[in-house]
Amino acid sequence: MALKYAYHPGNVAHSGSPEINETMIPLAHTLGIKLTPLDGATSCGAGIIRQANHRLQLSLNARTFAQAEALGLEIMTPCAATAGNLSEDLATLRADPILLEEINVILQQTSGLTFGGGTEVHHLLHVIVDEFGLDKLSTLVKNRVDFSVAGYYGPNMQQSGACGGDDVFDPNYFEQLISALGGTPVEWESRTQSVGVPGLFSEELTVLRQAAAVLSDARSEGADMIVSACNLSHSILDIYQGKASRATGIQTNIPVTHLCEILSFALGHHTDRFAQLRTRIAVIGD
Amino acid sequence: MSTGLIGVNMSADRSLLVLFGSQSGNAEDMADQIGKAASKYNLEATVKGMDEVKIADLTNYSRILITCSTWGEGEQPDNAEDLWLDAEADDSPSMAKCNFSVLALGDSSYEFYCESGKQWDGWLESKGATRVYQRVDCDVEYEEPAASWLTEALACMGAVDDDGVFQAAEVDAMKNAASSSSSASSSTATESTAPAVELSTPDLKSESMQVEVSIFRYDPTTSSTGKDTWVCAFPGHISALEMLRTLKNTQDGSLTFRDGTADDPSTAISINGRYILPGNCRIDSLAPIRNGGIRIRIEPLPGFEVIRDLVVDTWSLEQNREISEPWMVAATRTGVNTPQGPIGTMDSQIADKLHSISSFHSAEILHASSDATPHSNTYLGPSVVLQSWARLNDPRSSASKRAALQMVLDGEGGIKSETDLASIRRQGKTTTIHDSLLECKIATLSRDGYRGRHGKHVWWYTLSVKSSGRVNDTMIFRQVLGPIGLMGNLFSGVTARMALGFTRTGGSMFYDMLALVAPPAGLGKMPKQFNASVDKHHEVVAIFNEMDGRF
Repeated sequence: MALKYAYHPGNVAHSGSPEINETMIPLAHTLGIKLTPLDGATSCGAGIIRQANHRLQLSLNARTFAQAEALGLEIMTPCAATAGNLSEDLATLRADPILLEEINVILQQTSGLTFGGGTEVHHLLHVIVDEFGLDKLSTLVKNRVDFSVAGYYGPNMQQSGACGGDDVFDPNYFEQLISALGGTPVEWESRTQSVGVPGLFSEELTVLRQAAAVLSDARSEGADMIVSACNLSHSILDIYQGKASRATGIQTNIPVTHLCEILSFALGHHTDRFAQLRTRIAVIGD
Repeated sequence: MSTGLIGVNMSADRSLLVLFGSQSGNAEDMADQIGKAASKYNLEATVKGMDEVKIADLTNYSRILITCSTWGEGEQPDNAEDLWLDAEADDSPSMAKCNFSVLALGDSSYEFYCESGKQWDGWLESKGATRVYQRVDCDVEYEEPAASWLTEALACMGAVDDDGVFQAAEVDAMKNAASSSSSASSSTATESTAPAVELSTPDLKSESMQVEVSIFRYDPTTSSTGKDTWVCAFPGHISALEMLRTLKNTQDGSLTFRDGTADDPSTAISINGRYILPGNCRIDSLAPIRNGGIRIRIEPLPGFEVIRDLVVDTWSLEQNREISEPWMVAATRTGVNTPQGPIGTMDSQIADKLHSISSFHSAEILHASSDATPHSNTYLGPSVVLQSWARLNDPRSSASKRAALQMVLDGEGGIKSETDLASIRRQGKTTTIHDSLLECKIATLSRDGYRGRHGKHVWWYTLSVKSSGRVNDTMIFRQVLGPIGLMGNLFSGVTARMALGFTRTGGSMFYDMLALVAPPAGLGKMPKQFNASVDKHHEVVAIFNEMDGRF
């Protein structure tokens, strides 16, 4: 039976990282995953709105949950930050019936919705490994990702209850998936380290050092590229590479793509972009 | 890389020493009750008066329960006096391999209430023994609290495995097993025709498994780093600390780590990215079992300078603590009169909250849990911040002290230096610490009126979500960085990478030419100047209006 999900694209897929949405749609089609867009869903808050008002973020996400529940679907997102934040807020609402009731009153007044707890949140990576199956995926691969790949999980979805059947501290779903795509998974310790996205503006030097540490770790372990499961970290790791290198004196140059991109390429979509990526790996690589 | 096969002794030791110091016979009665109940917990109890053992005999046991009354003005009962004198001697033995709990009997109308029990409790702790269940002090009506202590303390003793390691996760299973045993016994007694019930206690042991252990090594004399890997056979139930001890004793005597009791915070290390007290964790709980074995990667705690191998220098944490001036400066408060004299009171909810905020086993582990700590020059770290936050919320703190603590939390090294609370949340067993740090951050940002880069980021992110339901990167970059910051990005190459997507692939370089009005801003490829609104955007606005009138 085809997998069906309510689709939340994550925080910056509509703007700064358009390649995520562009590659997500064809890969879902090839895998036979039916995505119903949550066109009314707001930003998950990225852990930032809650710094202004925790209940506000909970209410916004409760509205997103209620929309998915009304569709009778569970939520799937390709963004680790969104998966982590939504999972966290879902757990908070489920653990506190009084809070849920109070938020439902607000939802009812403002949008006519109530949330009964009847949805779940999944990241694309966990859907593919836990639900779709890596054996099936490997039979669909048309263009092997035949280089060394460092899979970046980030800290947001590596939380208890938010990472499917994977281990919170010692995950290996990404590595299994890279192998299924024909690549060589790189073992590296920084794969669950934060690159400090919420502190980018206020603590830029710290964030640049965090990003440089992650990038240089992947390089030193022999990775040809990093594939990120997080939309936000993906952008930081890419566009702040040069600045991070200058701030720390560490070599940081390495191509960074998103999980959706690499899956899409392996499944035979966007062959021109895959060719560009190969060229960039050849040019950038040491 | 060295390889070896290690065998670990697995004798089935379930012995328990029940030691009583008794004057009127109550402590002896309790000891007898423990002796009778011990078998339900699969323990073989030996009940002895304190005058029947020598101090050196105690080192033969990994499980000791003590019941002790107090006589006169805080004196040991007669049968305990000699043993206590030996215990107090300078050459009294280490009790590092012992797990214990104490039941203290006394009379609260005396000044030195339960003093003898407190002395034994303190002595065992000072000798390195592990307190598996807290001491209970009983007044004249001792039966009820003593019975409760007996149940808990025996379950904890039952959860001490054959290697003398306390397995906290097994305590509930022990209680259940003992409970089943009791009901089965009761059932057999009253219904003689009922079939015999097969009783079993939870198996704390697990089979030997293949363990691949990689340990970080650092030699300060040559400044060389590396990893040593051993492939070994270990029983899954031994603690990580025991595994390190075995490797040191049998494979490499130069392996350096901090040894100590199971709950010694200074022993903390990183295993497969998880920060733990190695004496408290079974090795089969540290990593998923894949292909019949586990792989364990052991490293020193991050965020500290490494002295040698797994030993880190925690002095930086102590210095940060000193900067925060953590000591109490108390406000003058109204107390209440009690039979023990005037005493200050605290609302139970506040007391609970303060306790939960500051209830973490290891400041070192909490400090290391932040991924920002190793990279920041000024950040005091989450454990110092949390302790300051607890003291700030403590109604006993004076107004001047609270003002000083606010300055610490709002300042350069305070909570705003934490770049991502997610990394702290994932290391915690509960979300209490994360939630408290979040509360602290909200309070700091509110006091600051959401000014400064951090406050502006939060403010404009939230406002941009109200305006369309989606994040508007352009708005955030422009408002937070300002023209100078944006120009900085232009010259540092950030903007160029933003536009080109540099190492990423595909997608439009620009969404619209409006993005180029004023210095370009955004995260990732050049984003839109204005977002299209989400469906039913008016609902989002209504939620904002209902929940927070500031936006």
